Amino acid sequence: MSEPAIALRRVTKRYPPREPGAQPQELLCAVDLEVQRGEFVAVEGQSGSGKSTLLHLMGGLDREFEGEVRVLGCDLRALSDVELAALRHTQIGFIFQSFNLLPALTALENVLLPDFFGNGVPDADRRAREALQRVGLEDKANARPSALSGGEKQRVAIARALLARPPLLLADEPTGNLDARTGEGVIALFRELHQDGMTLLIVTHEARVSHAASRVLVLRDGTLFPDDAAHSMETR
Amino acid sequence: MRAGKLLRLARGNLVRELPALAVSAGGVALGIGCLVFFLALGVGLQGVVNDVFPVSTREVEVVVPQMALGNLLGEQKLDDAMVDRLRKLRGVSAAYPKMSLRIPAVTRYNGLFFGREIHMGLEIVATGLMPELVGADAHAPFQDEGPGKPIPAVVNRRLIELYNKVFAPQRGLPQLTDSMLIGFQIPIELGRSYVAGKTLPNMLEGSLQLVGFSDRATLAGVSLPLAVVKRVNQHFGAEADSYSSVLLRAHNADDVSEVAAGVKKLGLEIDETERSRALQIGAAVELVTLALSLLAGLITCLAAVNTMQAFYASVRERTREIGVLRAVGATRSDVAAVVLAEAAATGLAGGIVGVVLARVVGLLLDRLSRTGLPDFPFKPQTFFHFEAAQVALGIAVALLASLLGAFLPARAAARLDPAKALSES
Repeated sequence: MSEPAIALRRVTKRYPPREPGAQPQELLCAVDLEVQRGEFVAVEGQSGSGKSTLLHLMGGLDREFEGEVRVLGCDLRALSDVELAALRHTQIGFIFQSFNLLPALTALENVLLPDFFGNGVPDADRRAREALQRVGLEDKANARPSALSGGEKQRVAIARALLARPPLLLADEPTGNLDARTGEGVIALFRELHQDGMTLLIVTHEARVSHAASRVLVLRDGTLFPDDAAHSMETR
Repeated sequence: MRAGKLLRLARGNLVRELPALAVSAGGVALGIGCLVFFLALGVGLQGVVNDVFPVSTREVEVVVPQMALGNLLGEQKLDDAMVDRLRKLRGVSAAYPKMSLRIPAVTRYNGLFFGREIHMGLEIVATGLMPELVGADAHAPFQDEGPGKPIPAVVNRRLIELYNKVFAPQRGLPQLTDSMLIGFQIPIELGRSYVAGKTLPNMLEGSLQLVGFSDRATLAGVSLPLAVVKRVNQHFGAEADSYSSVLLRAHNADDVSEVAAGVKKLGLEIDETERSRALQIGAAVELVTLALSLLAGLITCLAAVNTMQAFYASVRERTREIGVLRAVGATRSDVAAVVLAEAAATGLAGGIVGVVLARVVGLLLDRLSRTGLPDFPFKPQTFFHFEAAQVALGIAVALLASLLGAFLPARAAARLDPAKALSES
């Protein structure tokens, strides 16, 4: 059996105390998680529960933690800054709640952003146009983000995440700023990507996203629970 | 990260940050404009000084020391034997002896002078030069044609400038050019002085014929062929075997110090009156240029500080975007490179504007000088001399100032924690 796409072993994340003398704030407590390749996992949790922090750890954006994080077979703690950047560049696609498009660039240029770094992306221009076509925005290639609706911005962000054709997609509240109809479109896109064999891990607090996932986890009090266990805890 | 992509990414940010960065570029432009302006002014003024006091870096004027012991005993002389010894000094390529006319001489001119009736009596100071030294500056043979024949004379080019700008306007005399004066004759009485009120026995009467203008000619008086001066001095029993000075020409400028040392060994000295005057004025111009360039440098430093503040603000505003760049694969050095590329573009724009500004202000001041300032001797057509090296230096300093100014903000951007940057609201 191949190594899981994501493997977290006893991962703890603490934030420094806000006041002198206070205890450090523990956001994640000895979290264990395995996500197999090709899986579509949703992580639910209340606002401030540490979902985004978990995502940043898995994406190698945050390196201050205890425990072990392995992504696509790489021990993130063992990687240098440049190696981590290369991993993010080629293996991981990120999608954010607030889209995070660069306002100075057109939609096409935003999609091409990963091509600006590292060794670039092979055949980037064609891939970028294909990615825009896939998210239904081929006619908006030259539009600036300010001229796009929220749904369109998020679709551009998804196209950007797909440019390098990464095997792993990490999404942070991807439908959080979208209306119900637009959100459905984005969720449908995630289903397609999952069917194409991509591994998806999406943190969300929206049930409609979780329904699309093959596995749902709940982050509560710094610990990850399977969805049914979390519900039974609530019932008790 | 490839340069083309870097510039493409930087361009977008530059357009967005244009108002803030225009202020930074404006500061750089002001500093660079001042720097290039003052450097061009310094070089231009140095050129004016060189025109007024032409000094060859290969030549020295050798004279007998006034207080030499041998001189008091009548032994130290610049005679032909000494000239030969000087000629053989290491590094010397040629030696040109000069002899002063050691008897008084006057000219008295009554008649038409280019359309004006003038009556003039002047004491004449003359120096004898070798024809080879005057060379092509003389438009007729510069040699002794014998007694009774007009004596060819050359005059220093600076004298005609002084005549045209000072003497002629004051006396209402016509402006003269080289070509108008060449061939002009004035009478000369050798062995007579108006000032001393005496006339030597065997006084000679003749005429001087102007055959050219030369920077080699003496500034105080007229220059005659050496053979004429020797003959006249001999005629009146004055010293005709020793020269008043010898011009030594070195093979190249680097040999001059060795030549000077050889001259001193022979018990002679270098007359540096004119040379040191030119050097002093040149040094003063250099000093002022340096001071003004330092001022320009200070302005550029302030512009660099302003650039730093602008880029700190820009990095703060773009914290989240920097997080996105890191998320899509940018390394720390990629992020720093983006900020530095923006700074380089700002500096380049500021440098180019500054150079253009300096050139335009220089042209305006030259125009103002031509129309607004009264004519004075050696008034130049331009006070500025813009060189490609100044332009290159200006743009290089602009780039350096902007890159140094943006260095700390770029480092701060590179050190941003991507997770925290993405969490910025």
